[in-house]
Amino acid sequence: MRTLLILTLSTFKMFARNRQAVFFTFFAPLMIMTIFGLIGFDNVAKIEIGTVLNAPPTSGTKMFLEQLKQIPAFNIHEGTVEDERAAIIDGDRSVVLIIPFDLIPQVPQINSPKTVIALTNEGQAQQANTAISIVNQILDKTTIALARTPTMFNLVSETINARNLKYIDFLIPGVVALAVMQMSVFSVGFVFTSYKEKGILKRLIATPMRPYQFVTANVITRLLVTVVQTLVLIAIGVFLFKAHMLGSYWLVLLISSLGAIMFLGLGFTISGIASTVEAVPAIANLVVFPMLFLGNTFFPISTMPDWLQKVANVLPLTYFSSSLREVMIKDASISAIAPDLLWMLLWSVVLVITAIITFGFEEKRQ
Amino acid sequence: MDSIIEVRNLTKQYKTVTAVDGISFIVNQGEIFGILGPNGAGKTTTLEMIEGLKPISSGLALLDGNDVAKHTHKVKSLIGVQLQSSSFFEGLTLLELLDTFAALYGRRVDAVELLAEVQLQEKAKSQVKELSGGQKQRFSIAAALVNDPKVLFLDEPTTGLDPQARRHLWDLISSINKKGKTIVLTTHYMDEAEILCDRIAIMDHAKIVALDKTENLLKLPSLSSSIHFRVNKPCSIEHLKNLPAVIEVDAEDHSYKLNTNNAEETLPALFKHAKECGFNLVDLQLHQPTLEDVFLKLTGHALRE
Repeated sequence: MRTLLILTLSTFKMFARNRQAVFFTFFAPLMIMTIFGLIGFDNVAKIEIGTVLNAPPTSGTKMFLEQLKQIPAFNIHEGTVEDERAAIIDGDRSVVLIIPFDLIPQVPQINSPKTVIALTNEGQAQQANTAISIVNQILDKTTIALARTPTMFNLVSETINARNLKYIDFLIPGVVALAVMQMSVFSVGFVFTSYKEKGILKRLIATPMRPYQFVTANVITRLLVTVVQTLVLIAIGVFLFKAHMLGSYWLVLLISSLGAIMFLGLGFTISGIASTVEAVPAIANLVVFPMLFLGNTFFPISTMPDWLQKVANVLPLTYFSSSLREVMIKDASISAIAPDLLWMLLWSVVLVITAIITFGFEEKRQ
Repeated sequence: MDSIIEVRNLTKQYKTVTAVDGISFIVNQGEIFGILGPNGAGKTTTLEMIEGLKPISSGLALLDGNDVAKHTHKVKSLIGVQLQSSSFFEGLTLLELLDTFAALYGRRVDAVELLAEVQLQEKAKSQVKELSGGQKQRFSIAAALVNDPKVLFLDEPTTGLDPQARRHLWDLISSINKKGKTIVLTTHYMDEAEILCDRIAIMDHAKIVALDKTENLLKLPSLSSSIHFRVNKPCSIEHLKNLPAVIEVDAEDHSYKLNTNNAEETLPALFKHAKECGFNLVDLQLHQPTLEDVFLKLTGHALRE
């Protein structure tokens, strides 16, 4: 027992003093968080609208234009026909409205409707149509007001303080899962392959120590790192990026630890296969790199083509990041994520078995 | 003397090669036992079978009465091992490494004192990667001593070291031996074996070709010493041939070479003869047989080929 304790302490010191390990455990995920967080995929771009008047507008037309400018989703530009045409061709406008100066005259003229011409950018049809329908609504309302017809319908809106989930809420659980994966796979892959290559493992089995003691000490160390890593990254997400953490921290740590065990199995398998340290990144990235993007980390699986979804849905990282996300942003209970946990358990068993088969302290020769 | 290691018909068979071919020997308590031979002779494999690091194909190895194959775990706790490549964990200081290694034996150790024993006390807070080659080997010996072993195994301890570091390590090995530790070492340096070892097993092509006390090996009957000298005036070859123990005389101008079975008998007679005949011996040199010659004689090829 004392042997295990001292070994664990020593391995923990080695991990903490290894700058690369610390960088990949904390700083690399933080960088990913910052970069993807800054891109902010959920900030919908404003619709660029050009307006052209053939003469100084009447006061009614002017009011109409002011009203357009109040709409937050619009970015209104004013210019000549030539300028605005050029802008739409360059892709800088979704739509250009050519508006007669007397669109809304001083005295309503019911029988001769005024015409607004909309030049729409074919490539930004969605934005253009949205803009046109909003403009239409305003014009309809104006017509009703000018015709002095009593209002028949009222739409009252009320603000509710909802959980406004943003991209960062999607991202943080993904980054946590990713970080735990990278830490587990690479820290074991590199370290144990170099132990093997340098003859350190051989030196260890020249002592009465049992190999499982050394492996256990290393696993415990990395599980401790996983706990710290998970909590630190979530804390940064919550305090720095205003992400949501609604579920149980115990459940989050359970998922992280299970994820770590799964990927530690992968790490040991890789150091069992790799005969030199140089071979580790090649082998590891073959497995890890596709998961980086397909593992429900940066982009939802639902945005992928069907066949790719089928692949993504069985990857170990997918179960890890999905269940973590369910707990963090939906406060999912353990029973709600039970299928994910079972799949992770299955993957853990598979990967630990392959690790036992491929990885050994003894030389494979003979 | 009691034996601490007994090896009988020890064999290591790989698919196509026999790395160790039925060797037998005994190591006595308290001695320095050397296994000398060229690279690939099977020295390291022999050592690693006795240490319980490599499975034994056939034959028997007993360490302090324990069958290595059956009681590997027990044997490992009784021995200290320095492997050929002495790598250690990165990120731990020498003190932390010794404490960690002691824990592997379920022991506690005074790491500071142990470092002092190998003269590394001032490096206590350094890491292994900051040490020189000789210091690394000394640390590696310290790590092999954490369990106060009955036998210390050193696999080519001075390979790759500069002459000064080698000498330093020899002193260390002798001093550890004087404190009562049995030491088994492999080497392909003749001078190292000659200086350090009480007894030597010479290995070549997976077999032991000779095993004896170091001084006995050097007195193999077929080995001769040679005496080289020049003289200031010619002297009779016949007279020189008649000097005691002389086997052969070569002469070229005023240079002579006497091959002798026993230089201790020949030399006084040569001095006497020179005095009587009135000539002076110039540039007198004595070449005594070395293990190099022993090896050449026994195997028919030089040690480093």
